[in-house]
Amino acid sequence: MSAIIVQLLVSGLLLGGIYALISIGLTLIFGVSRIKNFAHGDFVMVGMYLTYVLNSWSGLDSYLVLLIVTPLMFLFGLFLSWAIIRPIQGAPQVAQIFATVGLGLVLQNVTLMIFGGDFRTTASVFAGKVLRIGDIALPAPLLIAFAVAMAVVAVIYLFLKTSYTGKAMRAVAQDRRSASLMSIDVKGIDLFTFGLGTACAGLTGALLAPMFPVYPTVGINLVLIAFVVVVLGGLGSIAGALIGGLAIGLIETLSGFFIGSEMRQMAYFLVFLAVLLLRPAGLFGQRGSEKLGA
Amino acid sequence: MLEVRGISKQFGGLRAVNDVHLSIGKGEIVGLIGPNGAGKTTLFNCIAGAFPPTQGQVLLEGRNITGLKAHQVCRAGLARTYQIVKPFGGLSVLDNVVVGAINQTHNIAEARRIAEEALVLTGLANRRDVPAASLPLPGRKRLEISRALATRPKVLLLDEVMAGLNPSEVEKAIVLIEAIRAHGISILIIEHLMRVITAVSDRIVVMNHGSKLAEGQPAEVLKDKTVIQAYLGEDFGAHG
Amino acid sequence: MTLTSLLAPYWPTRKGLLLSLAMVAVLVALPLIAADSYTLHFVWKVLFWALAAAAWNIAGGYAGQFSLGHAAFFGLGAYGSTLLYMHFGLSPWIGMFVGAGAAVAFATLIGALTLRLQGPFFALASIAFAEVLRIAIVNWRSFTGGAEGLSLPFDPSFANMMFSDRLWYVYIMMAALLIVLLITYVLERSWIGYALAAMRENEEAAEALGVDTVRAKLFSIGLSALLSAIAGTLYANYILLIEPSTVLSIGFSVEIALIAIIGGMGTPLGPILGAVLIVPLSEYLRAEFAGSLQGLYLLVYGALLIVMVIVMPLGLMSAIREPRTAARRLRGVFGGSSRRRPVREESRHA
Repeated sequence: MSAIIVQLLVSGLLLGGIYALISIGLTLIFGVSRIKNFAHGDFVMVGMYLTYVLNSWSGLDSYLVLLIVTPLMFLFGLFLSWAIIRPIQGAPQVAQIFATVGLGLVLQNVTLMIFGGDFRTTASVFAGKVLRIGDIALPAPLLIAFAVAMAVVAVIYLFLKTSYTGKAMRAVAQDRRSASLMSIDVKGIDLFTFGLGTACAGLTGALLAPMFPVYPTVGINLVLIAFVVVVLGGLGSIAGALIGGLAIGLIETLSGFFIGSEMRQMAYFLVFLAVLLLRPAGLFGQRGSEKLGA
Repeated sequence: MLEVRGISKQFGGLRAVNDVHLSIGKGEIVGLIGPNGAGKTTLFNCIAGAFPPTQGQVLLEGRNITGLKAHQVCRAGLARTYQIVKPFGGLSVLDNVVVGAINQTHNIAEARRIAEEALVLTGLANRRDVPAASLPLPGRKRLEISRALATRPKVLLLDEVMAGLNPSEVEKAIVLIEAIRAHGISILIIEHLMRVITAVSDRIVVMNHGSKLAEGQPAEVLKDKTVIQAYLGEDFGAHG
Repeated sequence: MTLTSLLAPYWPTRKGLLLSLAMVAVLVALPLIAADSYTLHFVWKVLFWALAAAAWNIAGGYAGQFSLGHAAFFGLGAYGSTLLYMHFGLSPWIGMFVGAGAAVAFATLIGALTLRLQGPFFALASIAFAEVLRIAIVNWRSFTGGAEGLSLPFDPSFANMMFSDRLWYVYIMMAALLIVLLITYVLERSWIGYALAAMRENEEAAEALGVDTVRAKLFSIGLSALLSAIAGTLYANYILLIEPSTVLSIGFSVEIALIAIIGGMGTPLGPILGAVLIVPLSEYLRAEFAGSLQGLYLLVYGALLIVMVIVMPLGLMSAIREPRTAARRLRGVFGGSSRRRPVREESRHA
């Protein structure tokens, strides 16, 4: 029995790492630009499809393709930020929600129209391979995804702490007006942040593609999970996205085992509601505000 | 009319307001001054019900209104304006004020009448159908006051209404404040412009670091050494 | 009297009321002119979406309680009356109110728990609540039929709210829409309407002016839930099939909000306008491109939303009312982002 528990814990943590990666993009975009990107899950989906396309067209392993997908998604994010996000920057909250929901719909349905609704898979030498340590099974794709996710989280954390752009991002997150008075290019930071967030989402998609079926509406569930993680961890907090992601991964895996896979979703929604109602600032967010905590 | 007894407000480790006593009689105008961060707006918030004080009591016409929620405080007869104005942008000027008037009556026609009266007093009557979002700043300040007046308050709390106004607008505002007092409404006004404070106040209360520093007639208080020091200006007189 | 002023019922006028009656008169006349079953179904659809959107509008448009979980209320109404009908033979006319009661109870719960949540947080919470309800219902198979849902046996009679002639369904839906429209108008003109508008525009200022925002929120969400539930019952007794994946889904919640927004939320006619625009569009797209470009209509929805938000965030009604503002916004998008907008005080949760 204990072996099962350990397996569940490990699987949960590995999954959680991936959730953390998805959520980091979302929390950055929120923290810096105050945009609640309801299309974030669909960005992951786009990353998955890009991986699929490049993989089946070039024959390159999915994990190599990732190196192309990520910068492409970054550029895509820059474009979207310029075309859609920038005009709605000052709009009421409601408008922002709807613009990103609309964006999500567009992405989902363009994909549906091009590829149809069938599940796709991508190929990789690692797909299906499992590393075994004692009684614990660690699927290779999951392990790789976790490792990459952790690396990215660390890199982003350091980036925010040490680089000029990173510090500028934190400044904008804390106080947009003061930041612009300090001659920080706030609009440029918005664009960059959105690109970065989109790249993270796309990267996650590339990491997920060898493991999960790829279909146009896969993003809907992912964006909900991402929001749960971000709210749990605290909007704008990198540490929060990490801890929150791991926590949700664990909760989902454990409850899936003990309560059943259908109720799994309910478990994290209930956690979500608990957080929203009791401590909306999240574990690492500042009380009563939505400031960057990392 | 309004009695503030020993109000303190603690935020975690910070004591923003420390044991402040204050009273305002009917038809009196009391000026509340002090450097930035002195706790003036926090005191307002405690009185007006934005949040409850940590200690102390607020009595309105003898009735204990301490810790009541903002809307209850308003119903009791104490209205406030905000330093950063909060107009209902999507509504017309008149409709903004009607929101205040529905405190007094649920009849819309009646409420409109009350609102019109308030608008006449503040000089916005000819702009009643203008969307509030398109009013310039002085208009928004007047709107803020009109709304508060429509609730037929006994006491009005004005939080830096002069901020951002040019000199001629300030003069008009002073006239308005006097007109409000003439209606029998007591006023507690936070202000930085000394000229205004001395012009309208019957009495001045000075706050610093959360505590009451001095109180008395404008002329005396403004000559008080501790008050001058609090403002970090030996040459204070030049800024009068 | 220009067309613009005729279509400007934000500040309720007799003209606006007359116009709504005119629109409804057209809809009433339509089935009499073309009484074939497809047209009737089409008219029913338009009316249904208008009704659902109008119910949402009371909370989302007027009170600023932007919910993306209204499917929960709709579903409670649909399941409520249906279960009572199927298990106890209770007439849906009565079951409707039981379902509505459940919806109001759920709405009150949600409202009470989410009092401190603003904007998107409230939207997220509403999604979460709706999803929890959906999952609960899907898993309570024995009672609710699980994921397959419930099929109502067709047994036409007035008491069963089922009719062989579609025209009846259309008339009932019209009546319901008219009632909701009337409620919306009356609300808008009343002191409650002012309180809700104040709360929507600036909650803090509204509180300071004597508006009990707690009661206002609970009232608006409760009323909205009640009307949504009634729409749910009407839906169930026409379509005769209720599945969690339709009546309790996020997609449904988003769609009704979408229709209200595109048409103009916070106005009585907005939802109707939205439905009149969107439903025929989606029917056309679905019919034209079925199979080959599956999903085109959703794509158009999405694109429309984005365009809308940028050009006329308050919906079609506002663009009609103030075409110059809409044009300016459109120019602003292309003319660079350094345009000066009218000075707006930052809200607390900008």
